[in-house]
Amino acid sequence: MIAIETNSLFFSYNGRDFVLKDINLKIAKGETIAIMGENGAGKTTLVKHFNGLLKPTKGEVKVLGKNTKNESVASLSRHVGMIFQNPDHQLFGETIEKEVEFALRNFGFKEEIIERRVKWALELMELSEYRDKSPYTLSVGERKRLTIASVLAYDPDIVIMDEPTAGQDAIQKEKISEIISLLRHKGKTVIIVTHDVEFVVNRIDRVLLMADGHIIAEGDKRDVLTNLELLEKVRLLPPQIPHIAWLLKEEGLLNEHRVLYIDELIKVISSWKMS
Amino acid sequence: MSFLEGFRFRRKNTPLHGLDPRVKFIIAISYTALSLYFIEILPLLITFTSTMVLIVIARSLAEWSRTMRGILPFLIIIFFVNLISVSRERVNYSLSMTLRFASLTSAFSIFFLTTTPDELALAMESSGIPRDYSLMFTMALRFVPTLSRDLQIITDALKSKGFELEKGNIVTRLRNYAYVLVPLIIYEIRRSLMIAEALEARGYGVVKKIDTPYKLKMRTKDWGTLVLTLILTLAVLSLKPLGALPQWAYLKLPEPF
Amino acid sequence: METLVELESLSFKYSGSEKLALNDVNLRACAGEYILLTGPSGCGKSTLSRVLTGLIPHFYSGELYGKAIVAGYDVVKTPTYILAKHVGLVFQDPENQLFLSTVEREIAFGLENLGFKAYEIKNRVERVLEDLGLSFIRDKAPYELSGGQQQKVAIASVIAMEPEILILDEPTANLDPRSADEILDLVSLLVKKKRILAILIEHRLEIAAKYVNRIIIMDKGQIIADGDPRDVLLKPVANIIGIPRVITLFKRIQEIGIKLDKVPLTPHEFVEGLKLLVKTCDSYRNQ
Repeated sequence: MIAIETNSLFFSYNGRDFVLKDINLKIAKGETIAIMGENGAGKTTLVKHFNGLLKPTKGEVKVLGKNTKNESVASLSRHVGMIFQNPDHQLFGETIEKEVEFALRNFGFKEEIIERRVKWALELMELSEYRDKSPYTLSVGERKRLTIASVLAYDPDIVIMDEPTAGQDAIQKEKISEIISLLRHKGKTVIIVTHDVEFVVNRIDRVLLMADGHIIAEGDKRDVLTNLELLEKVRLLPPQIPHIAWLLKEEGLLNEHRVLYIDELIKVISSWKMS
Repeated sequence: MSFLEGFRFRRKNTPLHGLDPRVKFIIAISYTALSLYFIEILPLLITFTSTMVLIVIARSLAEWSRTMRGILPFLIIIFFVNLISVSRERVNYSLSMTLRFASLTSAFSIFFLTTTPDELALAMESSGIPRDYSLMFTMALRFVPTLSRDLQIITDALKSKGFELEKGNIVTRLRNYAYVLVPLIIYEIRRSLMIAEALEARGYGVVKKIDTPYKLKMRTKDWGTLVLTLILTLAVLSLKPLGALPQWAYLKLPEPF
Repeated sequence: METLVELESLSFKYSGSEKLALNDVNLRACAGEYILLTGPSGCGKSTLSRVLTGLIPHFYSGELYGKAIVAGYDVVKTPTYILAKHVGLVFQDPENQLFLSTVEREIAFGLENLGFKAYEIKNRVERVLEDLGLSFIRDKAPYELSGGQQQKVAIASVIAMEPEILILDEPTANLDPRSADEILDLVSLLVKKKRILAILIEHRLEIAAKYVNRIIIMDKGQIIADGDPRDVLLKPVANIIGIPRVITLFKRIQEIGIKLDKVPLTPHEFVEGLKLLVKTCDSYRNQ
């Protein structure tokens, strides 16, 4: 089942310079996919087509089978939740409780359901004790959790996160990682826009690499994240473990360089010890 | 918003574009003085026509006419309101008021059409206005693209939460925009606090009168134009009190009522 | 080497807050050091940077205890304007620290504020544009620049004032990895060339660890580790921050009996270390 597909998608803001060039992709339901590239590659512009904020200049975008050209942002957003990079751009409630309720109210959920969902979302993000406070009394990390709570509360099928780990410390990143795991477990389609290569290693199935408005490559994370030349092309730094494996291969100490995880590398190195 | 067209700077190479913005401002002020001083129709018409000459020199006729078309509703209102409310010499007085407004608009549009916002900011900084105020203007200008981007992102976020901004009658829509404005204002207030902190860290505020290579310097052509403008303006202004205004300038239109 | 920062028993509480943002901090730092200051969010890193620039106590109110001497000045008794000549602060969001309409004017701004003469300003601006490779964008407006370029301009504007100390508060938070690397490399160059003290507040250790010569870890307002990167990152307390994978790898192979000579901070160092070991093993075996 296809969650999102684009066919020959071109996009331009001013009608002359194309920011997205011939994007063809298919994202299956339940997939966890990372869209990666340096700042300015077009990643955010691309995902804004998935909830109708932007409509194609040429080509088409289909979300859950529906062509986005005929749909409003509101109707698409019911199924596609978008968590923007900066929490302060997306706080619309006077209290944290009202903030989490906001989308639920807009989508016309019944009162009892709203109450239940808000409670669940706040507990999940460990914000229950702050429910009556203003969002601005929270720390930056807490506000980020709030934006996640606001989107998860209305349970969209597809969740898009724009640079979820930017400016976050290790503990916060781990938390976000757990949320992604939870979403995968629930069968959600998760799309993460990021340039954080280390974060992506663990929770993602597939990786899409973008540069200059094009999709340069896409595939299984093991194929993409261990291909140093490819990462170099899109101006991303490789994750450390594949980088080490690649260097070891260069030195003739390793045959297989498509190594992603520490455990795999350790297994190989310990096998040398034997010899 | 087409009437704003005449106030938007376009990059062109004309004598007026290259003139010091402060001199251009004086020119606009001089026109203001002339427009306000004369009540007679023909002098006002001459004043207005001379602004058109400057517009032609600045090769900005197209943008200027868009502005003049844009203020046409105002001109019509001014004419008819005066026509109704004034007791004596209705037609002449209404025409004068209309011409006055047209000249003022035209004069200032010369200024804005030939001056970049940055030059404007620089002019303020170089004109003896306290640094706190001129810098405020410069920074407001610099942050316009930033603000518009923030507005866009907040609107996007709002729409992504299922909120329909464009739905409903005019009253509902205005209320809807509060949902965009409140987070935007809060965001920008917090931004301004961060800016204040950064200004402090950059040593701002102690030295009141700064010495900088980045200030406007008057060149010969600027002084020349300034002197010429002042002489001409004073000469024309002094015609009436000196009794030197020719008869035809006092010509009036017939009053039908 | 000249001591530029002396903090003794430094504690601070923001007005209206119950807990101590800084709790008995002791720190000494000298010229030529490139220090990475890290720790979980809320540990006090930014608070510390504000004390070093005098923003605490002059811009932020609260209760400050202990001693804070920066570039020879007592922070409490010295106005921020004086400290600004000696301590430059680069903030996280480039947008909020670029005030003017062009790069060139931005670099001149700090010098104008400090009362320099026009010709001196012109000279310094040219030098800084040259040194940091920014001449080609001197006339550009901030919104025309990429994030990395904006941060470079922010650094340039601060460096133009020739401070002895440069503090960078999460300068790469909004940058992609390559731009982040360029910025941190640039600071490294500045430390070496100008013998300044640089204090970098960062979370992204995989990028930063290789450039710095000292790491300080903070948690809950206290310094819990302070020393050479290769020592600090091995300590158990370092587990509250994201230690680079290469270090975790080093520790894990050590557990199975493979001990590298030097603690690696980059993939290259790891591989070099492994190569050396293999060579000595081989030569040992061949004896």
